[in-house]
Amino acid sequence: MNSAANSSLVSRIEELSGQRVLDCYQCGCCTAGCPIGELMDPAPSKAIRLLQLGRAEELLASEGIWLCASCLVCGTRCPRNVDYAKIAEACRAIVLRAKRSVVDPDRVSPEQLQDIPQQAFIASFRKFSV
Amino acid sequence: MKYPYYPGCTLYSKARNLDQCARKAALRAGFELEEMPSWNCCGAIYNTNTDDLAAQVGPVRNLAKASQLGERLVTLCAACYNVLKRASEHLQATGFEADRQRLLDFVDEPLIRDVEVVHYLQVLKELGWEGLRAKVAKPLNGLKIASYYGCLMVRPKEVLKFDDPENPMVMDELVAALGGTPVRFDFKSECCGGYLVVNHQAVADACSLRVVENARTWGAELVVTTCPLCQYNLEMAQRRRSSGNQLVPVLYFTQVLGLALGLAEAELGFDDNRLDPRPFLLTRGLL
Repeated sequence: MNSAANSSLVSRIEELSGQRVLDCYQCGCCTAGCPIGELMDPAPSKAIRLLQLGRAEELLASEGIWLCASCLVCGTRCPRNVDYAKIAEACRAIVLRAKRSVVDPDRVSPEQLQDIPQQAFIASFRKFSV
Repeated sequence: MKYPYYPGCTLYSKARNLDQCARKAALRAGFELEEMPSWNCCGAIYNTNTDDLAAQVGPVRNLAKASQLGERLVTLCAACYNVLKRASEHLQATGFEADRQRLLDFVDEPLIRDVEVVHYLQVLKELGWEGLRAKVAKPLNGLKIASYYGCLMVRPKEVLKFDDPENPMVMDELVAALGGTPVRFDFKSECCGGYLVVNHQAVADACSLRVVENARTWGAELVVTTCPLCQYNLEMAQRRRSSGNQLVPVLYFTQVLGLALGLAEAELGFDDNRLDPRPFLLTRGLL
């Protein structure tokens, strides 16, 4: 993908999320507070850095955006009022709207259905399915 | 005092014990929950994409129906509280007027007033801890209880304005009023891993164990929560990963409230807990 297309993707992410990636000064509070930060690749601050550098396509192809549980610690503690959870949500929406489900409701096992609270399924399908 | 009440889907099945204790305990605490008619799912999680009005339809329809019943709507499930409260704030936001109208036209229910979405814990607090203390039939005997709030009760802080987002206290105050000892710990409002349990169970387990281990390190004998998913994750992570004497029972705060207010054991819904708290409660003389 060329840099013009990447830059229009960054704009689209900013528009959908209502966040401005250049507001971030890379202090890393978001990643430090993220309960999944050690496993999330890229972690929140790195993900925002990718967008600052115009590398939106890399972020959209990453695993990291699918590991966010929307706990909102990152945005709550951000000294610059950047909410990474909203950015990750926008990134997922762009992928999902291109019709690529990450969680397939048809493939949930009967054991899971029996056991896990509805709240988790509805939330998971809303975040990870088309 | 009677309040319109929104139970939500999970409280009708896998978290029946959260709901049933709450209704019965409310009567003993001095208020009544009246379930609102023909409610629908709140959506379970709030969508933040600026163009996604469809995700607002569910919560907005509930709010419109609730507005016809009174000024307030009481919620109990942390997710329902979070979603309905955020949807209600969003509806009132300046700059959202056109979308508000589109949504209300679509749900085809008049919104006759802005509804204040409150949590059951806030109702208890308003009624006053002293009054509640006087109604306690079976004090909790100093039981060391960690109040776990998770994410949904406290964030986003600007919208929910529920309590201090880094150190919420309302459930701790309740525990103290019931004769328990609130345990201070570090991960009161850390994430349990939430819905990641559906497709990343190991990640959710790691988040949940961190919370429980920390509570245990600070001396907690019991954890209480108000979220069906936190409750599930904290119990199941322990069942999958911990052993024997390290297990910490995780109860709904309404179960502990019901216990202290003298509900019968059969009314407390312990059969639905995945780590049976009864043996422990027996050793502490509470059953």
